[in-house]
Amino acid sequence: MSALETSVTTSPRASAERRVEVKGLGKSFQLAKTTIEAVRDVSFDVRRGEFVALLGPSGSGKSTVLNMIASLIRPTGGEILIDGKRVVAGKATPNVGYVFQRDTLFPWRTVADNIGYGLELSGVPAHERKERIAECVAQAGLRGFEHAYPSALSGGMRQRAALMRTLIVEPQILLMDEPFGALDTHTKIDMHEVLLRIWEREQQTVLFVTHDLGEALTLADRIILFSARPGRIKDMFEVDFDRPRDAVKVRETPHYAELFQHIWHSLGEEFVKGRST
Amino acid sequence: MKRYGTLGTVGWQVLICAVVLSVWQWGYDLRTKLPWLVPDLLDPYFISKPSMIFDNFLIQSCMTSKLGVFNGWFNGEFAKCLARNENNLWAATAITLKNTFFGFVTGVVSGFVAGLILGRSDRLSAIFQPFITAVNSIPRIALAPIIVLAFGIGDMSKIVTSWIVVVFLVFFNTFEGARSIDEGFTNAARLLGASEWQITRTVVIPSTMAWVFASLTPAISFALIGVIVGEFIGAERGIGRLIIESEARGEASGMMVAVVVLMLVGVVLSAIIWRLQAYLLRWQRQRSAE
Repeated sequence: MSALETSVTTSPRASAERRVEVKGLGKSFQLAKTTIEAVRDVSFDVRRGEFVALLGPSGSGKSTVLNMIASLIRPTGGEILIDGKRVVAGKATPNVGYVFQRDTLFPWRTVADNIGYGLELSGVPAHERKERIAECVAQAGLRGFEHAYPSALSGGMRQRAALMRTLIVEPQILLMDEPFGALDTHTKIDMHEVLLRIWEREQQTVLFVTHDLGEALTLADRIILFSARPGRIKDMFEVDFDRPRDAVKVRETPHYAELFQHIWHSLGEEFVKGRST
Repeated sequence: MKRYGTLGTVGWQVLICAVVLSVWQWGYDLRTKLPWLVPDLLDPYFISKPSMIFDNFLIQSCMTSKLGVFNGWFNGEFAKCLARNENNLWAATAITLKNTFFGFVTGVVSGFVAGLILGRSDRLSAIFQPFITAVNSIPRIALAPIIVLAFGIGDMSKIVTSWIVVVFLVFFNTFEGARSIDEGFTNAARLLGASEWQITRTVVIPSTMAWVFASLTPAISFALIGVIVGEFIGAERGIGRLIIESEARGEASGMMVAVVVLMLVGVVLSAIIWRLQAYLLRWQRQRSAE
C-alpha cells in the first residue's frame, strides 16, 4: 500500500454523475397515539461510484433513510430518484443490491444455494450458475463450506456469504445497513478489506449505514452525519485518504486521527442527545 | 444432549415389556390365591392374553388353520384360507392402509394449500376466520356417521372421514407457519428481484415446512383414527370391521390382534414421517461450528 497522503480533491474515480438523489425526504411513524418523526427533510446526492457512509447514533433515522432508498419503507414526504427514476415503495429497483444488518441467509439453503439464489431467480442456467457461485465462494474465502448450511457457519462467514448473495447479481448500487455491526473488531476489519477490494474492482455506488466512525472513515469517500431524532443531516465530511486503502494501515496515519477527532466531537454531541430523547 | 438407546435404557425397556406381558399372561391365574390383589379387569374374557392373541393372530393371518395346525407354504392351504375370508387380516390391513393413505394425502395437500393461501392473505383470512373457528369447534369424528350415510359403506366414506380430521390440523399449522415468516427473508428475496410467486416457492414454502411437519405425526394417527371410526360405523372390510366382528363374537383376542396390527401400522407410518422430516428439514440439525 502506498503512503496515505492528504489530498484536497475528492476521489477522482467518483464521476460527477448523480446516481442517487434524495430530495426533502421525511418519515413519520404512528406509535399508539403519538406521532414519531424519524426523518426530517433529508436531501443529498450520491455520485456514480462514490462510497458514502451514513453515520449517526441509533435512532437518528439513518437506517430508515436507507430502507426508503431500498423501497422497503414508504416515505411520508419527499422523493428518491435512482438514475433519474423515482423509487416506488414495495417495488425492488433493478441494479440495487441490499445487505442486511441481520443475517438473512436462508437457513434451508446451503451456502452455495444461498449465494446463487439471485441467479436462480433470473433463470441463469445451472452450469453457468455453478461457475459464478464458485468464483464468489472463493472470493469470500468460503471454500469447503459450499454445502454447509448457514447454521454451521460463524458470524463472519455468514455475513461474507450474505454479501456474496447480494454481489453475485452485480448490482451497480449497493445499500448496506450496518452489515458488520454484529461482528467482533477483527472480523469486522477483515470484512472491510474484503469490501474495499471488491469495491475497487467493481466500482459500485455504495451507501453504507453505520454508527462506527472508524468504519466510516476506513471505507467511505464521504460521511453524511445524522443528528439524533428527528433524523436530519447535521454535517458532511469528505474523507480524502488515498485509494486503494488498507483497512488496517489507514487507521495508523496522522490524518486519520485528525479527521477522527474532528468528526468524533460532532458525533458525540448527537449520541448524548440521542440518549436523552 | 443425553444419548438414548444405550444398553441401560434398552435393558429397562425389555424389563418393562417383560413385566407387563407377564402380568397380562399369568396375572389372572393368581386370582384364586390372591383375590384381593387381582382386579376383574385382568380377566382374559375382557383383555385376552398374549398367548391367545398370538394364536389368534396366526389363525387370522392364515398362517395356521383354526385348529392351530401350520398351513404349509406350498400346498395351497394358505391361499385357500385367504380366499375363504374376504376380510382376512392381510386384506383388512391393506384396505385400512390404503384408505388411511388417501385420507392423509388429500388432507395434508388441501390443508397445506388452504393454510398457505389464507396465511398469506390478510383479506381472505379475515373473511374466513369465523367459519373456520366454527367448523373447527365441531369434534370432527362426530361427523363420521353422517359421512357414512352420505358416501356409503365403501372406501369413499373412510377417506372422507380421514380427510376431515387431518385437513384442519394441517391447515392450522400451515396457517400459523405462513403468518410467522421472518420478514427479513421475504425482503431479502424481494430485493434480489423475486416475484410474489418466487417468494412463495423459495421462501414461504420452505420456511413453513417445519410447521407443517410438526402436524404430520399427529395427522397420520388422526388419519388412521378417521378410517377406523368410519369402519366401525359401516364397512364390509378393514381392520375396524375386524374389531366389530370380534366384538360381536365376544372374542377379545380377535380385537386385540386388530389393535396390535393397528399399533404396528401406526409405528411404521410415524417412522416414515420421521425419516422424511429428518431429510427435508436436515438444515435444522446442523449446529454452529463456533
